[in-house]
Amino acid sequence: MGFGFLHRHRNTTPYLLLAPGLLFLGVFFLVPLGYLAYQALQSGNIDFGYQFTWAWSNFSDAVRGYGGQFERSFAYAGIATALALLVSYPVAYWIAFRGGRWKNLLLLCIVAPFFVTYLIRTLAWETILADHGLVVRTLTDIHILSPGGRLLATGTAVVAGITYNFLPFMALPLYVSLEQIDPTLIEAAEDLYASKWRAFFRVTFPLSLPGVVGGTLLTFIPAAGDFINAQLLGSPTNHMIGNVINSKYNELIDYPAAAAMSFILMAIIVALVLMYARAVGSEKLTG
Amino acid sequence: MTDRISRRVFLRRAAASGSILTVPGLLAACGGGGGGGGGGGGTTEAHKLAKTLHFSNWTLYIDVKNHGHPSLDQFQKKYGVHVDYREDINDNASFFSKIEPDLARGQSTGRDIIVMTDNSRYPALLVKKGWVEKLDKSAIPNIKNLVPQQRNPSWDPGREHSLPWQSGFTGIGWNEKLTNPVTSMGDLLGNKKLKGKVGLLTEFSDTLALVMAYNGDDPSKITDKTFNKAISVIQRSVNAGQVRQFYGNDYASALSNGDLVATMAWSGDIVQLQADNSHLKWQLPNDGGDIWTDNMLIPKGGDVYTASVYMNFVYDPKIAAEIEDYVNYVCPVLGAKEALVKQDPAIAKNPLIFPTKQELDNAHTIDPTALNNEKYQTTWQNLISA
Amino acid sequence: MSTAEVTLTRRRSGASSPARVWAFVRRHVLTVYSLLFFLYLMLPIAVVIAFSFNHPRGRFNYTWKGFTWDNWLHWNAVPGIQSAITLSLEIALLASIVATGLGTLIALALVRYGFRGRGTTNLIIFLPLSTPEIVLGASLATLFLHSTTYGLRIPFGFWTILIAHIMFCISFAVVTVKARLIGFDRHLEEAAMDLGANEWTTFRKVTLPLIAPAILAALLLCFAISVDDFVVTYFNAGNRVTFPIFVWGAARVATPPQINVIGTAIFAVAVTCMLGNVFIQNRRAKAA
Repeated sequence: MGFGFLHRHRNTTPYLLLAPGLLFLGVFFLVPLGYLAYQALQSGNIDFGYQFTWAWSNFSDAVRGYGGQFERSFAYAGIATALALLVSYPVAYWIAFRGGRWKNLLLLCIVAPFFVTYLIRTLAWETILADHGLVVRTLTDIHILSPGGRLLATGTAVVAGITYNFLPFMALPLYVSLEQIDPTLIEAAEDLYASKWRAFFRVTFPLSLPGVVGGTLLTFIPAAGDFINAQLLGSPTNHMIGNVINSKYNELIDYPAAAAMSFILMAIIVALVLMYARAVGSEKLTG
Repeated sequence: MTDRISRRVFLRRAAASGSILTVPGLLAACGGGGGGGGGGGGTTEAHKLAKTLHFSNWTLYIDVKNHGHPSLDQFQKKYGVHVDYREDINDNASFFSKIEPDLARGQSTGRDIIVMTDNSRYPALLVKKGWVEKLDKSAIPNIKNLVPQQRNPSWDPGREHSLPWQSGFTGIGWNEKLTNPVTSMGDLLGNKKLKGKVGLLTEFSDTLALVMAYNGDDPSKITDKTFNKAISVIQRSVNAGQVRQFYGNDYASALSNGDLVATMAWSGDIVQLQADNSHLKWQLPNDGGDIWTDNMLIPKGGDVYTASVYMNFVYDPKIAAEIEDYVNYVCPVLGAKEALVKQDPAIAKNPLIFPTKQELDNAHTIDPTALNNEKYQTTWQNLISA
Repeated sequence: MSTAEVTLTRRRSGASSPARVWAFVRRHVLTVYSLLFFLYLMLPIAVVIAFSFNHPRGRFNYTWKGFTWDNWLHWNAVPGIQSAITLSLEIALLASIVATGLGTLIALALVRYGFRGRGTTNLIIFLPLSTPEIVLGASLATLFLHSTTYGLRIPFGFWTILIAHIMFCISFAVVTVKARLIGFDRHLEEAAMDLGANEWTTFRKVTLPLIAPAILAALLLCFAISVDDFVVTYFNAGNRVTFPIFVWGAARVATPPQINVIGTAIFAVAVTCMLGNVFIQNRRAKAA
């Protein structure tokens, strides 16, 4: 590999490059995180104050009481990520290979929904997917939905909402790594009598793996902690761990419980990410 | 309620500052109400008005005209105090989280007036922890205009720390095109024809108050027994698939487009929805509804005198009428209805904004100690967040 | 390479008519799918745009009541909405630029160098993504509050919002740019060096243009996240009001059509800028 000239500065350059960003994160993320850890081991309530008591019970209480919500969160996030990947990949491919001059415009269109606040675009979805609306009526007519069925206030709606709102997080990294692939490589494969699909699976897809990894991480990780989709689109049985953490923090003013739950969530996510990185392969794919 | 400036004292002060020579000053002198002298920076002790009043309120909750707030401009003109008006209260719980750190460490929140709802635990909590200042009643003679039913809330007896800004009713709204009138919680929770199309509120107090009233229990004095009974009624209904969702204020769109046929609803929302959809009806449940109030409070460190003068200002029926004409929730100020009748009779005659004594008596307020009961709150959160 | 149109052709001679039709379909299925995708993506936006012309009599914008230009003519008629959107756009612009800059540097370091602490660095990048927003926002706010113990009084407002936004955007920028750097062909850089360019020139003229699409994508992503963020912002905004804070706050009593107007307008302006970009590139290509 061509490390070449970079070898000369190997010792200091990476640290110089890392320093500004990591310093920023160190001060404005890690320090608050430390405080959060401190809070997670506190006990007490708003009436009489909180004291640091090495309250490891916060963690066991969280797992015991809300295991269902934890599981559901990862299930929803996992399904949403898989859906987002399946849905976005062809489009990212199309923009990368066929986009031409319009690439940037198309990319913009993917993030455009974010310019309208989440609440307003979800209200728009509620209008579109209303029980008496065109979509639900059509789906009932063609028997995908049972008569009297609904799309909103269900687990399906929550997953659909998460998928929709995280599409850019999946699509943009995918595009970024697909766009880099040299089309002559694909042509070469076809010259060697590979079919289109073979060329795709043997050449294109592997080369796009860094994008796949990036996209899945950027989608799955925040989706697991999401609460707003479940709150607006789900019924009480569809709530995720994010909702519980929210209620612990806001309504119950139980800061230690909220903090402990957050750490459990983070720990599980980190574990899952490590397993995923190992499954996908070397550093060459995950950086 | 004897902390009123005596007319003699007022006239002496007013004469000294020259404000009696203004029309409001004269009227005030004749009416026995009104505030004290002119502007200038000041401290809370010396009965001097501050240069700026920092007022945090909910969004779109004050009169609006031509990109401005006429009542605030009038206040500035009358007292020379600039109102730094910030609509940074979105929700009681998260706003409390924002100011709690300052209050817990004895620091000023930078605000002189905040507005919090008494169907949340926070006003009672703030009073209990001593995190709000006492009102300067001597500066609020207009407090006599407070509607009688609001004069003695159990979480702030005698209104030492708070004054209502607006109130709202919680009742049942329904779509008359899709159902017969739904006028009782029993109907809402049990009528199979409404299955899956019923909404309840995430607000602990609103939902429990209505269910308890339906159970025949008193929401203003909650015991374990009455609480558990109410919870089991709601849980049964949820398990049967009757309840579509627990809503914040987003029931309004679902009610509008027919996804909800009947739901617990707030009076102010209904006023707005009815303007575009005359098929939406609302009433307090027959067994009793719930009234909640957004209260003006002075967080610790706020300027008590200036804040009190402002509160007095908005309790002037004419000013209250101006504000009510836009906000359209339930007005807590006596005399505002009469002041409004000429310029906006539709609003003045709307019982959702100026309710009858009967309606006010039929509306309960929730027991504030229950709001701060951890066990109750946790049970409730687990119910709505299964 | 990146601007050339690529068409993948089948290399078979003498294809029969049905085969040619099939080939046509297969060539365009991707396009059709992608168009359907954009349709799906834009569906709620279409509703939002439509309702920006609605004329409700009440304060909620849920029922279609008739067409009007009023909302567009008086887009700032709702007090507070203009300052809210101005603040949001300023923050989003600055935050996305800074976060993308810092993130690109980190991505370069991670992908191109071996150094001790890679694992830790990766962890530090992923943790903000996995932290629930509410505790992320609240704990950062606590940091700003505690700053007074060390003698700095950091008032809540513009700068605290900006810091918070940069903080949670960096991770997104890192991952996006990394996806491009992995698999980046170093030989191009080597070739440039062989031809006499020094490191900085190589970086400027070879590397940067080649990772430009990733940097643009990171900018867009960070901008979108920043302009839409509510929870973290709320805790760190003091009494400032950004657009999402305004919308969520207003929603209790109203959903003014002006919100739709503003969302549509931002989109329209951004599209226009991009289109302008396309035309400028066209002109340049023609002139060259």
